[in-house]
Amino acid sequence: MAETATAVQDRLTELWETPKSLYGWFATVDHKELGIRYIVTAFVFLIAGGIEALIMRIQLSQPNLAVLSPETYDQLFTMHGVTMIFWYASPILSGFAIFLIPLMIGARDMAFPRLNAFTYWTFLFSGIFLYISPLFREAPHAGWFAYVPYTLTAYSPGVGMDFYALALIFLTISTTGAALNFLITILRLRAPGMAISRMPLFLYSTLTASFDVIFSLPALSAACIFLELDRHWGTHFFKVPGGGSTFLWQQLFWFFGHPWVYVVFLPATGMISLIIPVFSRRPIVGYAYIAIATVLTGVVGFAVWLHHMFTVGMSDIAMGIFSAGSMTISIFTTMQVFAWLATVWKGRPVATTSMYYALSSVILLVVGGLSGVFTGVIPADWQVHNTYYVVAHIHYVLIGGNLFPVFAALYYWFPKMSGRMLNEKVGKISFWTMFIGFNVGFFPMHILGLIGMPRRIFTYAAGLGFGGWNMVVTIGSFVLGIGILITFLNILFSLTLGRAAGPNPWNADGLEWLTDSPPKAYAFEHIPLVSSRHPLWDDSDKLGDPENDRILDNGRLTVTTTWLDAEPVGIATIPEESLLPLAMSIVMFGLFVALAFRSMWAVLAMLILIFVSGCIWMWPRTEKEVA
Amino acid sequence: MSTIVQIPPPRARLALLPIDQTRGLQAVWALISTESMLFMCMFGAYYYLGNNKDRWAIEKAPDLIYPFVLLAILLSSSVVLHWGEIQVHKERFGAARAALWFTVLLGLIFLVMQGFEYASEWKNLTPDTDSYGSIFYTITTLHAAHVIVGVMILMYVGVQPRYGFARRTPHMPYQVASRYWHFVDAVWIFIVSLLYVIPNIQVHLHGR
Repeated sequence: MAETATAVQDRLTELWETPKSLYGWFATVDHKELGIRYIVTAFVFLIAGGIEALIMRIQLSQPNLAVLSPETYDQLFTMHGVTMIFWYASPILSGFAIFLIPLMIGARDMAFPRLNAFTYWTFLFSGIFLYISPLFREAPHAGWFAYVPYTLTAYSPGVGMDFYALALIFLTISTTGAALNFLITILRLRAPGMAISRMPLFLYSTLTASFDVIFSLPALSAACIFLELDRHWGTHFFKVPGGGSTFLWQQLFWFFGHPWVYVVFLPATGMISLIIPVFSRRPIVGYAYIAIATVLTGVVGFAVWLHHMFTVGMSDIAMGIFSAGSMTISIFTTMQVFAWLATVWKGRPVATTSMYYALSSVILLVVGGLSGVFTGVIPADWQVHNTYYVVAHIHYVLIGGNLFPVFAALYYWFPKMSGRMLNEKVGKISFWTMFIGFNVGFFPMHILGLIGMPRRIFTYAAGLGFGGWNMVVTIGSFVLGIGILITFLNILFSLTLGRAAGPNPWNADGLEWLTDSPPKAYAFEHIPLVSSRHPLWDDSDKLGDPENDRILDNGRLTVTTTWLDAEPVGIATIPEESLLPLAMSIVMFGLFVALAFRSMWAVLAMLILIFVSGCIWMWPRTEKEVA
Repeated sequence: MSTIVQIPPPRARLALLPIDQTRGLQAVWALISTESMLFMCMFGAYYYLGNNKDRWAIEKAPDLIYPFVLLAILLSSSVVLHWGEIQVHKERFGAARAALWFTVLLGLIFLVMQGFEYASEWKNLTPDTDSYGSIFYTITTLHAAHVIVGVMILMYVGVQPRYGFARRTPHMPYQVASRYWHFVDAVWIFIVSLLYVIPNIQVHLHGR
């Protein structure tokens, strides 16, 4: 080869690097940049939701406090739930997936990079849209599942519930777009040889979650459309006197709601399945069983939604079937838990902060899963429905099944994202603070629920025996908050002071560790070839690429392969940066603001602008531009 | 120890592979899946709202003539568009473009006809009459919105020049647009069966 490696690298850099300017910042389609932005934005929503929670805990720490008015309290717990479940729990996983998936599969970007930018901006703007409503002192106030008839105009005349419904429809556009992007990326852009039996388990879980998003999210859109129509356009979907049904909302919402639990939980289990084997120094036990359990969880997750509604009054047979379905899910989760335990058991575990978080999340998940089995039993559910027992359950599942794995992932992949290691000592302090704070804060909620404290009350009378436990809960939640804060400070300091990471600090097996830390704009100089599940442990690509066949440097190119065996079948062209995704998101933001204030001419104008920006976006590029 | 699957790594020359043009079509299938679920939720709501009523529609089953005329229009438009797609593959671009604009015309006729249908239904039934009116108009209007989007996409493809990607693979935008249009047509088949034909059969069986 006459050409030196540096010349190739220079050419690839020139092709792939986003210009370092204000234009480049707004126009970027680089998945690494967008993934990090997703993560940062989701953490900002985590902080917002966390502060809301802490304010509520101050109010509840003693009986008969009046820190907050009942109205403010209602708005706070609704905003807390909506923010955490929709704007933190799912986007944080999308953020990791967007950063990691192209690196894990040996591709140079996502399948649709501009769609990727578009889903980031719509995610951000929908969150901003939701947080406009508190400025009118009219935030949503009916809980995160917003049951009718309370949310109809007769009982909720303000704009709060309109912002709730429209913000969710807006977010749905973003989430569906991201899911579609994951689907095609994972199925089509895997490196040659990465057959479906060799995919990292995180890809199975993200794939399953994306299928769940595509098939369940429309139910939420339908419910929110009906709600808006009922509120302002005179229809009778939920109004019983007009022949409507209040249960229609519950059916649609939970048909979406339960698969959503797996959307925010499955990718996190995929992260655990990657982290535990690396720190146990051995391949995962039962790869195929974990993959099957993941997919089955996603499928059976569509047949359990009535267990949120056992108290509304249904036929015994329907409740029985859905109770059995809910029990079935626990079998699949248990399969995964035992595979993780066996991996640690058979391996030689290394005590890193990431491993601490991963293992603790298994413990918390088991606690949350067991309380879930209790609530899946119909008579037990009747007893604890709408009490703090359910609050304890959802927090054990979501914090154990989402927040702790996310922190494990943060300590594990932060070196890849920034090129610097997080401080392990501070990390362990943060871990113990969070772990103790969480358990002190949330375990007593089980007891509070069993002794009868209902959820969503803004205060309680003295002498009911709630006061002491509530004080413990408040203290625990503040300790948890401090623990999270320690990690954020760790990030801030490690960005400048951290030890340089090098390409593979953990001696891990995945393709993402083949790239530099942080990865170069083009990530892989040669598109890797894969011949095992652990490419870096098994020296998959030891022959290298002597003929420079896999450089692909005459354009922004990556390889497409068949979805099952990953045989290379084509070359994908990756579009360059563009302002159109941002422009279209801004126009959509305008559309939803116009809808919130029902200004129909503005709606029409915005729809036309969306069409125009879509036309410019999709206009065929000349051959010179395509290269 | 995990078993290593013994598939030899592929040895194809990557640089000789063709440009991939299938991702867009696959994304459209995913879009169609999620849109189908939206309509399925709407149909689910239709039956859920009707499940404790004696008859659904309550007052009067909708007229059958309009929906079948509309069905004929949409189905023939699908045939025309499919013929156009075959022409693109044979590189007869003029004929393909003509077929596409004829489809647009049929789509517009559909919308106008549906306007007439609404005008005749509106005398007995409006969205604020009862829950039946609400769901009936929501489903059909949602479908009409999809027809409008489909027509706009088709017109956009109809004016696209043939250069760049469009010259190398001129059938791709055409194929993507026609998949979406066929989907919109298929939804109308379901609407006709569930919202128009079955209530009329009920009237026929049980009388008024």
